[in-house]
Formats: sequence, C-alpha cells, structure tokens
Amino acid sequence: MIKNKYIELQKTKLLNGTIGRRKFMMSVLAAGVALPSALSFANHAAASTAKKGGSIKTAFNLHGPDDTLDPCMLTSDTDYARGRAHYNSLIQLSDDIVPQPELASSFGANADATEWSFNIRKDVVFHDGSKLTADDVIYSMRRHMGADSTSVAKGLFSVIKEWKKVGPYEVKAICETGYSDLPAILGEKHFKIVKDGTTDFINPVGTGPYKLESMRPGIGSVHVRNEDYWREGANFDSIELFGITDSISRVSALLSGDADMIISIPPNSLQQIESTEGIDLISTPSGSYMGIGMHSEKEYGSNPDFVMAMKLLQRRERIVKTLLKGHGTVGNDNPINSAYGVDFCSDLPMNAYDPDRAKALLKKSGITSAVMEAAEVSPGAVEMSLLLQRECQKIGFDLNVKKVPTDGYWSAVWQKTPMHTTAWNMRPTASIMLDMAYHPDAPWSDTFWKDERMRDLLNKVKGETDPKNRHALQCEMQKIVTENAPVVIPAHSSYLDAKSSKIHGVPKLPLGALGGGEWVEFAWLES
Amino acid sequence: MWIMAARRILIGIFLIWAVSAFIFLITQILPGDAAELILGQTATDASLEALREKLGLNQAWYTQYLNWIYGLVTGDLGVSVAGGSTIADLIKFRIGNTLFVGGIVAVISIPLSLSLGLTAAMMPGSMIDRVITATTLGLIAVPDFFVAIFLILILAVGLGWFPSVSYLRGNEGFLKSLYVLTLPIFTLVLVVSAQMTRMTRAGILNVMSSPYIEMAILKGIPRRTIILRHALLNSIGPIINVIALNLAYLVSGVVIMETIFAYPGLAKLMVDGVQTRDIPLVQACGMIFCTTFVVLILIADLATIVSNPRLRHPK
Amino acid sequence: MKNELEKDVPETDAYEELHDVPAKSRLRLSWIGKFCLGIVIFWIIIALFGSYLAPYHEAHFIEEDLTGNEFDDPSFMSPTRQVLLGTDYIGRDVLSRIMWGARTTIGISFVATILAYIVGIFLGVTAAVAGKWTDAILSRSIEVVLSFPSIMLGLITIAAFGSSIPILIVLSGLIYAASVFRIARALSLDIIVQDFVEVTRARGEGLWWIITREVLPNIAMPLATDFGIRLIFIILFISSLSFLGLGVQPPISDWGSMVRENLQGLANGFSGGAIATIAPALAIASLTIAINIIIDDISAHDGGSLSGKMV
Repeated sequence: MIKNKYIELQKTKLLNGTIGRRKFMMSVLAAGVALPSALSFANHAAASTAKKGGSIKTAFNLHGPDDTLDPCMLTSDTDYARGRAHYNSLIQLSDDIVPQPELASSFGANADATEWSFNIRKDVVFHDGSKLTADDVIYSMRRHMGADSTSVAKGLFSVIKEWKKVGPYEVKAICETGYSDLPAILGEKHFKIVKDGTTDFINPVGTGPYKLESMRPGIGSVHVRNEDYWREGANFDSIELFGITDSISRVSALLSGDADMIISIPPNSLQQIESTEGIDLISTPSGSYMGIGMHSEKEYGSNPDFVMAMKLLQRRERIVKTLLKGHGTVGNDNPINSAYGVDFCSDLPMNAYDPDRAKALLKKSGITSAVMEAAEVSPGAVEMSLLLQRECQKIGFDLNVKKVPTDGYWSAVWQKTPMHTTAWNMRPTASIMLDMAYHPDAPWSDTFWKDERMRDLLNKVKGETDPKNRHALQCEMQKIVTENAPVVIPAHSSYLDAKSSKIHGVPKLPLGALGGGEWVEFAWLES
Repeated sequence: MWIMAARRILIGIFLIWAVSAFIFLITQILPGDAAELILGQTATDASLEALREKLGLNQAWYTQYLNWIYGLVTGDLGVSVAGGSTIADLIKFRIGNTLFVGGIVAVISIPLSLSLGLTAAMMPGSMIDRVITATTLGLIAVPDFFVAIFLILILAVGLGWFPSVSYLRGNEGFLKSLYVLTLPIFTLVLVVSAQMTRMTRAGILNVMSSPYIEMAILKGIPRRTIILRHALLNSIGPIINVIALNLAYLVSGVVIMETIFAYPGLAKLMVDGVQTRDIPLVQACGMIFCTTFVVLILIADLATIVSNPRLRHPK
Repeated sequence: MKNELEKDVPETDAYEELHDVPAKSRLRLSWIGKFCLGIVIFWIIIALFGSYLAPYHEAHFIEEDLTGNEFDDPSFMSPTRQVLLGTDYIGRDVLSRIMWGARTTIGISFVATILAYIVGIFLGVTAAVAGKWTDAILSRSIEVVLSFPSIMLGLITIAAFGSSIPILIVLSGLIYAASVFRIARALSLDIIVQDFVEVTRARGEGLWWIITREVLPNIAMPLATDFGIRLIFIILFISSLSFLGLGVQPPISDWGSMVRENLQGLANGFSGGAIATIAPALAIASLTIAINIIIDDISAHDGGSLSGKMV
C-alpha cells in the first residue's frame, strides 16, 4: 500500500514537472518495481492524464528573417520547436537520452555497427494525406550528404557511405567504420523526415503533430493540431511560437500573461520568476558548457604553462554561484559532465583555484600579457572572461578582454584568434561530443589540439560494446582533455526556461531549451 | 519659386541614386557572409562553398550591384539569403506596423509639441515654460529603453492594463492593434514630443531676437501677435526640419522599441539582416529608410522655400 | 528674480521685459542656473578625479564583506556601508563604477559633440556662404550619410571595425556632424539673405569676414541651444549601441552601458538591484539636464548678444 502510494506520489511529481522522467524511473525502480513496468508507468502516467485542448503561446529568444522550416538549416530553438511540431524523426530520445523508435518501428545494427537497418512505420501519413514510405526517408537523409549538401548537420553523417532503400518500408545506412552512435545522432533536431522531392520549404509537408497554419519568419508561427496524427500526443488545439529577443521583455511577457512559456531565462531574473505565483521555473541540468579555447598552434595555446595557469585561475564555484545562480555544475575543463550519465568520469582530480601556482607558471611561461576575444555565446560567457581578467590583474598579469559581437563570431573569431570564448550544446553521447571537438582531425575543434592518443581512444570507443571497457576508455580520454587540452571549462550550465503552472508534462531531455523541443508533442494544458 | 522646387525634386531623385550606391558600398564592408553565419560553429570549407554557391554569394560585386539596381527598378527586391522568403513578403507586414506606429505617434506628438513649444516660447522664463522645459529635458535625458522597461513594469506587469509585448499576428482590427501597441506608442510619443517641443521653442525664441521682431516690439504689437504672425512663420523652416528628422527616426530608428516590445517593424528587420549578413535584406531596408528620409527632407525643404519670402524670391 | 518681475507686470506690457531683447550685461545666472552649474562642476571633478576617489576599481568584484566573510552571491546587493549604492549584476560596486564611468561618458560625449560641432559648423556655414556647387556637393553628400539611420551606421561600422573608444567618438561625432551641418546651413541661409549681410557683400567683404563677423555670431545662439541636446543624443546613442551589445568595452564602465547591463535590476525591485540601473540613469539625467538648463538660462537672459560670447 505504502509502495503504491509512493508510486502515485512520484507519478504526480512526474506529471507536474517537479521531477524528470529519469528521476521518476529511478525512484519507482528503487521502490521495487521491475524495469519494463517502470517504463510503462512513465508512459502510462503521461498518456492517461494528458488533457487535450487549449492554445498556448511560447516565446523564444533568437529569431529573425532566417527562420526556416528546412530541417537542414535549423539553427535556433525557435527553428527546433517548429521542426518538432511539423515533422518527425526516425528516432526520438527519451529524457535520459536513450534512442527510442519514432517513425522507425524498429532498428538494429550488425555486429560491428557498420550497417544499421530501420523498419519504417506503415501507418504514418503526411499532412497532405500521402503515406510515408522508404523513399521519403532516403530523400530526407540524403539531403545531409554529398558535396552540394548545405546541411548544418552534414558533419554528423561524414562516416555514412550511403542510405539505401531495402524495401518499401525498410532502409539501411552503410557506414565506413563502426558508428554505434548513429541512432542517438538521428534523434538530433536536424534529421527530420520530409516528403520525397521537397524543395520548397516555405510551406513544406511533414508528418508531425501540428500542421502549419501561418508562419512569418522573424515574427512567429501558428500551428494547429494534426487531427490525423499517427499516435497520441499533439495535446494543444494550437500552438503559437514567436520571438522576443530581449530577455527582460520575455520575462515580462510571461509575468503579464502575454506568453505561456518562455525559453532562456537570464539567471539574474530568477528572483523575479520565483517570487511570482502561477509561474514555474524549469531548470534542466545539461552538459552544455561555456569556456575559453586557446589555439594550439599559437602563442598561448602552445604554451602548456600558460594553459595550466588559465585553468588554475578559474573561480569555478563563483561562476556557478554568481553567474549561473546555482543552475549549473562546476566544470573541470572536461566537456563531459554528470548529465552524460555513465560516460562521465567523476573521479578526476580538480584543477582547483591556485593563484600562487598560476603566478609561478605564468612567470615560467615567459608570456607577460595576453589578449582574448569574448562574446556572449552563452549566458555569462563575457562575465566569465571578466572574472578571469580580474584574477589575472590580482596576480599582476595583464589580460585584455575584447568584447566582440556575437554575430559573425563563429566565422571571424572562433578557431582563428589565439584565445577566445567558446560554447557547446550538449550532444547525445559523450563520444559524439569528444569526437566533434577533441578529435585531432575534428573540423570543429576549438583549438586544433592534436593528441594522437585521443584518436586511438575515440576509434576504440566507437566499436566498444562492453560498458566497463567503454567507461575505462572514456575516463582516459577525459583525463587527457582535462589535463592537456588548451581549453578552460569553468562550468556547465542548465537550461533555464519557465512556464505557466497550468502547463504540464514538459519533458526533460537535456539537449535544448524546454526538453529539447519535445514539449511540443507531450506537454498539455490544464483546463 | 517653381523652378527652385522642381530643381529640388530633381536633386531628390539624384539623391536616391546616390543613396543606393552608398548602401551598396557600406554593405560591402561587413565582414563575413550569410553562409558563414548560417553554418556557424558547424561550418566546414566544403559546406561553406556549397552554400555560397546555392545562395549566389560567389558573384562579383559589380554583377551583384547591377542585378540589385535592375531588381529595384523593376520592383523586385530579391530573396532573403538566410531564410529563403522573398524580401517583399518580409517587408510587407512590417512596413504596415512601422507606418502604423509612426503615424499614430506623429499624429499625437506633432500638434502636442508644437503647442507646448509655442506656449513655452510665448512666456520664456515663466512657470509654465520652466515646467515644460524641465519635463521635456528629463524625458530625453534618460535612455529610451529605460523608459520603456519602466512603463512595461508598471503598466503591464504591475497593473496589467496593457500587453507587455506588442506581438501582432496581422489579423487584428484597428482598435485591437492600437491597444496592443499602446506601450510602444506611448513611449515614443514621450521621447519624440520632448525633442520637438524643445526645438520649436528654441526656433521661435531665436527668431524673436532678430531685428524685424525688435522693430515689431518697438511698434507696440502684442507679443502673442508677434509670435503667431511673424516669428512662427519665420521659424517654420528649422521646425519643419526637426519634424522631418523625427518622422524619419520613427520609421528607421526605433529598433530598440521594436526589440523591447517585440513588435515586428522594419528597423529590427534590418538589424537582423545585418546580424545574419543577409545583404539583400539590409539593402532593401536601407533603400526604404533612405528614400523615406530623402522624401521627408525634400518636403521640409520645399516647405522652407515656400515659407521664407526671401528664399521664395531669390535675387 | 525674473519670475517675480513678470508676475507683477500686466500681460499686455510684458514685451517690455522681454529677455530676448539683447542685454548689455555680462553673464548672469538664476539661482537654478547656479545650482545646475554646481552639478556640472561636480561631475567634471568626478570625471577628472573619480578614479582616485572611488572606493574600488571599476573592474573589482566584491567578494567578501568588511569582516572578511565571503558573500554567497554578491550580485545586485542592496546598499550597505561597504557598497553605498549596492552592487551591479555581477557584483561590482555601483558607486565606484559611476565614479569611474564619469570619465568615460563625459569624455566620449564631450569630445564627440565638439567634433560634431567643428565639422558640422565648418561645412554647414561654408556651404551656405559659398553657395552654388560647393553647397550642392556638400549638402548632397551629407544628406546621403544622414539618410542612413544612425544606429544602423553604428551597427555596420562596429561590425566592420570593432568597438573601441576612438571609433565610438569618431562614429558618433561624424553622425551628429551631419545634423549639425543641416541646422548650421539652414540658419546661415536665413542670415545671409538678410539685408545687412547683403550690404556687407556689396561692400566687397571676403567670405571669411562674412562668416566670422556676420554669420557665426548670428547662428551661435540657436546652435548653442542645440549643444546640450546633441550631447544628450551622443550619450544616448552610445547607450543605444550598448543596448545592442556594441558599446564601450567591458570592464570599462560607462553610464549608458551601466543602465543597460543592470536593467534587470529594475524588474527585480529595490531589494534586487534597481539602484544599479537607476543610479547611472540619474547620473546621465542630472548632467544633461543641468547643462541644458544653464544654456537655456544664458540664452533667456542674454538673447542674441550671447552669440558674441560664444564665438
């Protein structure tokens, strides 16, 4: 009886968003419920109480005339939410980032993970009434491949040799090497399924839970429920997604009822949110981080003493406390944190604050002053640089922080100047993250840091299936990065969003604002 | 006079061409291009090249300029590089909002500030003058975004009288739009009237010290009559200029209001264009702004010519 | 004093007391003018010596209280004996930043305004007096620049050349020079069609003579009225740029940027840092209002003859 009551309690908590799906699973598992039934509890709890109806308005931050519905070109949380409303993916990720079938009814790989096959659901129809088939999937996937592809996610498909149609409802991905992360990758926001042959993305056809009623790039869009949706979900009658660039205005809009949900709360306004009745803060711990990269072939990054000094001058707790208001975790110059689950190596020694040693190291490095570029690539990134500047000043070292605009930052500054701020979103798995930014040949490396051992380890981990060995490999990689990579990562930040208390069931997938956009299908409104 | 006016109009047309060249030139100094901005952190050389090809960014500058001018003349503003929608579509909705807000603000603030400025000028140094001067000064002396946020916090979040953001879908009626846009209109009326009031007052007081007014004073004509009959007419040139500048500001300079109140207008569109390096969009908005300005100033100049008898009959 | 006089005089006779009739006396200020002069002098002193007088460096983060206990979160603190105006959004002393910021804000805006006036008046008067082609070319080029919205010009320039204090000064100076040009030219045109100038011309005086003896003295007063306004505009223009993230480089403090970066404090209320944004806003307002009142005061008293003193 007590057990049942406890489970009920946890269910309520799950539903009103006080705990995530993962925590719910853990608590009911702890209460002695077997895993499969725990899973179904979670699904059941969500499905049975979700109410249909109502309209909501959600305000985003970044938006502009470049807003698009082309899955290859999605770049902002606004785009991601629209993509989530309009389309589906083959794979969806659960709150604990486990790949689940979505448009694929099942999927699997050969032994060395070089060939993946996906069976496609047969009951899915597009908004125009046509049926989803393998051709649509092949067309959608090929848009991310080849020399003339303009997809922003193209790099994630670089090891895929081809997408092949096997039957009317079955496709295969042939990879050049083992690619155990492929299902998780397919759960990323860009791999949406569009109708075969679509080239016009002003008014495209998707399979998603909502149909597009109207869209004005840079202003907003209205989506109405897809009555023929192939599964439960799509709880609202309509959703309106619009942009409010300024964070104070965004928060004001939520408080005055002009928006029901908003993303990206500046930590400074938490006090205002928390003190208001009827408004809930949604803080989703994640692995996204901000940091400082030092180009490994230039003056600072090539000097290990200087790099270490910068690491030792970080006031990590201060950054989490003051800049993130506690909504983040202390970073240890390791791109991976606890949000990545078992892949995180938690027992690495800390690069703790040590101004005396930093001073000695700076003296040894022979560098007497430095210049860095800082942009607000992540909330608090400029302030983090100012804190470092102040710490440098305290030990008599002159660090000149040049604030530069965010627009154009990734092309003009990042990877180019000797020292600059950087920011990364969380990736579905630790190996994807490390592969993208710390592989010796990674095109997106912050610093062009080349460590041959990393290459070996990353290759090994892709084919490794034994969890224990995987963890050992992960630990070795993270240790190397923490100690040697010319990157400073003082903190990982949580996603901070807020909603009206009448909205329930917002998923907690930590891959983006508002449950990585998953709220679009699963959230619902109390009548 | 007619020849003078005609010349001024011809100059205006020439100016619009000069402006087009200037806009094209200034957009060329922007570092980076749309392809880099779209791909951002995930760009590779190959994907950049592919995207540039697709977006037509690889053409020589003179080809781009000629294409653009040809497009302008034939009424085709082109396609937004970043989003793919036609620029005409992007602009159509926003220009309505911009003109709506600007129009309402102008309708309220021009008569308001002219009468306040006149009142103040009629009794310089009086209590009324001091109050008007101090209030208008206070209003312009504080950043407009401070005023805007202050009004939002009090009138929208605190009292709940007006919406805090002026998000418009485009299907609202006149009154609903007016209601939704109350706060930005209110803020702009405060900011714009304050400046126009001051300039009106200053312009009239300036004329008051000229010899023919002194003459009128010596003749014993009442001050009120002097101001209304002589001073106002003669200070109309500078005053109209100030009005014209303010109207141009209302069309092109209100980016901060558009950002804070999240109402879609042209100025924010252009800023977005600059930030995404959407050059055709920046150029189109730039052309609209500059043309508006040229036309307003043209009108101001024509008015000056008409109002000043000396300019009307050049020797 | 003036007010008292006016009260007693019947309105129809008020013109006898007109203050825009040239006065022969030297500069006189009303009590309010004197008070404003005091404010301006105060800020000039702060601008010159503020960085020495301030309790903390502008980039200093307050970390511990006076007894050495570390603060949990030092941002947006309410005023205490340690931080008289509280702290800003990342925990720096607001009072110190205002004192340091005086130099940046007053320095940039004064230099830029003066630059705008020198360039604007020079070109404007030249255009008006020289007439013909000089006027046409100057006017048209200035109009082209002026027609482009200033904030956009700032946005593009800073995107291209980065944001530094010299760039901000030149940028805002030149942008506002364009509008000074228009006004200077318009005023000069009014002057040079008047008979006394035509008489001078007929007498065969040179351009320079006409400019310095006839035109400048007569346009100085309306332009001076404008000086205060233009100073405000430049301060506000730079704060608008900082609204878009393009203003003065951190950690250098500047009043406009301070208003912007602490704006959230206003929403948090007085216990949550409202002072951090209100205080710099008041600083801007007090300085600019004071300057403008002084100018108004002088022009109200001395009318046209002020021009003689200004040039």
